[in-house]
Amino acid sequence: MVQESMSARDQILGKIEALEPVNHPGDFKGASKDFDFRASLEVVGARVMTTEELAIEFPGRRRYDKTLDGLSLAEVEVLEIDGEFGVAENGAIWLTEEALPHRVAPFICQHLVIHVKKIVPHMHAAYEELKKPNASFGLFLAGPSKTADIEQSLVIGAHGARSLTVIIHA
Amino acid sequence: MLSHSEASENFIADAERTDWHDETLWFVRAKRDNASKVLPEWEAMREHASQIKDHTLANLGEYLQAFEAKAIANGIHVHWAADAEEHNAIVHKIIAAQGSKTIVKSKSMLTEECHLNDYLASKGIEVVDTDLGERIVQFRNEAPSHIVLPAIHLKKEDVGETFHQHLGTPKGNKDPQFLTEAARQHLRGHFLASEVAITGVNFAVAETGEFVVCTNEGNADMGAHLAKVHIACTGIEKIIPKRADLAVFLRLLARSATGQLITTYSSHFHKPREGQEMHIVLLDNGRTRQLADPKYKNSLKCIRCAACFNTCPVYRRSGGHSYHQPVAGPIGSILAPNIDKKANADLPFASTLCGSCSNVCPVKINIHEQLWFWRQDLMEAGLAPAGKTIGMKLMAITLANPVIYRIGGSLMRRFSSLLNTNLNPWYKQREMPVAPKESFQEWYKNR
Repeated sequence: MVQESMSARDQILGKIEALEPVNHPGDFKGASKDFDFRASLEVVGARVMTTEELAIEFPGRRRYDKTLDGLSLAEVEVLEIDGEFGVAENGAIWLTEEALPHRVAPFICQHLVIHVKKIVPHMHAAYEELKKPNASFGLFLAGPSKTADIEQSLVIGAHGARSLTVIIHA
Repeated sequence: MLSHSEASENFIADAERTDWHDETLWFVRAKRDNASKVLPEWEAMREHASQIKDHTLANLGEYLQAFEAKAIANGIHVHWAADAEEHNAIVHKIIAAQGSKTIVKSKSMLTEECHLNDYLASKGIEVVDTDLGERIVQFRNEAPSHIVLPAIHLKKEDVGETFHQHLGTPKGNKDPQFLTEAARQHLRGHFLASEVAITGVNFAVAETGEFVVCTNEGNADMGAHLAKVHIACTGIEKIIPKRADLAVFLRLLARSATGQLITTYSSHFHKPREGQEMHIVLLDNGRTRQLADPKYKNSLKCIRCAACFNTCPVYRRSGGHSYHQPVAGPIGSILAPNIDKKANADLPFASTLCGSCSNVCPVKINIHEQLWFWRQDLMEAGLAPAGKTIGMKLMAITLANPVIYRIGGSLMRRFSSLLNTNLNPWYKQREMPVAPKESFQEWYKNR
C-alpha cells in the first residue's frame, strides 16, 4: 500500500502547477467588538446560571478524572467541566482534551455544565489565544446538541448533550 | 437517468410540496441574511476568505506537502488517492485490517462522490450514516438532496413512516422531537459498538497538520472519539494555510449555511487519542484538472455551505435529486461537468444565470459566470441537449437572413401555435400572447 499511495501522491503533486502568486491577506483586521457573551449563549440554546442556581438544578452533578474510558462515560448524567475561554460573538467555548475526562465526555453525557472564567470578543481573538502549543484535541462548543433535519424543526439533543449550562466567573 | 428538466417536471407535479420546499429554503436564506448583516465587516470577510483561498490554490502543492509532514509528525497516517476507486480501496483496507463488519460515518459529501457506501457494501461492510438527515435518506435508499440539509425534500409524515418501518416507531407519529429521540437511541447503540468511524473534513490546516470537522448534532465526535480507528476523508482543496485562518472561515461557514452564529461543535483533530489510530485520505478525483483550468479553478474555493442552493430559484423549485449528483445546486452544476461532461451536460443549463449564487457565496466564487462558461464549452463539445442545439441553429440562420426572418415572422404571426412545440419548452407552462397582425416594418411602411 505504501507504494500505491506514493504513486498517487506523486501523480497528484505532479499535476499541480504553480499558479500566479497571490499573497496571503494576513490576519483579518476590522472585526466588530460589540458582542455580549450572555446574549450569544441564549441564541445558541445554552442557559446561564449562578453557582447557587446550579446547586439547585443539578445537585447530582460531578467531575470525572481521566480513569473512565469513553464507553463508561455513556452512563454519565451530568458532567461538570472547565472551559478555557468563551467567545462573545457566538457563545462558543473552547475546550481541550487536557481539561476533559475523555474526548467524548462533552458529547456522550446527558447534560453538560461548563465554567468559564475568561471571555474574548470574537473568533479572531480566540485564535490569538490558541497560538500557544496546540492541544491534541480541542473544540469550540456552542450550546447543546441540535438538529433541524426533520422539516427544519429545531430539536435539542440530537446525539450530544441535551442541555448546556454555563457558569460565568468573569 | 432523467435530465434535470425531466426530473424537475416530476418534482413540481406536487405543487403544494414544491411551494413548501421553495419557502423553507428561502427561509434559510433569510436567516443567512440576518446572521450576515449584523456584522458590518461581512463583505470584508468574504473578500478576505476569497484571498486566502486564492493564495492557497496558487500554492496548493506546497501546502499539501506541509500538511502531510505536520500530520505525520502528529501521528496521523496520511494517504493519497488519485480517484474514487483508489480512495475506496484505501478506506476498505483500513477497515478490513480491523475486521469490522459495521462502521459509523458522519456527513461527508466526498464519500458520496466516491459512492463509498455501495463499495463497502459490496465488500460485506455496512456503513451506518449518523447524521440524522443522512440516516433518514439512507433508510429510504435515497441520496441526500442538499449538502447541509440532506432530507429537506421530505415532510415529517415521510420521516414518521420511514422510522415506523425501520425503527419500529408507532405508525402515524410524525413529531420531530419524538422521531429525533428515536434516532438518538438507535444511533447511540451504533456509536458505542463501532470500532471504525469515518468523518468528512471541513478544513485541513497546513501549519499544524490538524483538521477541523463541524457538526450541530455531535455525531462526528461521538463516532470518532469512541472508535479505535478514525478515518477522515477530504478533497485536496480543503487545505488552508494557517490556524488563524479558521477564524474567518468558521465565522462565514455557519452564518452562510443556516444563519447560526457558529456550528454547535467545531472540533480540531490534531493528534490521535492515546491508543487510537487516525487516518486522513487526500483525494484528487479531478480536482487537479479543475485547478489547471483558469475558467473553473475558483470552484475549488467552495467551503460547502450551500448558501447558493438556498438562494437559487431553480434549486428551490426543482429539488436536489433533479441534479442527479451528490452536490446539487449551482455549485454542483459547475463541479459535476468536470468529473463527467457528458453525464452532467444538462446541469449548467439548470439556472437562470440571475447571479444570486455568486452574491451570497462566502468565498466569492463567480458561480453564475462559470455556469455560462460551461454552457459554451458544452455547446462546442456538441454535448448540449439536442432540442437546444437545433433551436439555436434555426435561430441563428433566421436572424442572419432578412428574407427568412421576414417570412418566418409572418408565418409565426399567423400560425403562432407553430412555436408551441416540444422544441420550445419555454411554452410548457406559458400561454402564447396574441400576435399583432403586422410586423413593425409593415406598420412603419403603412403608417
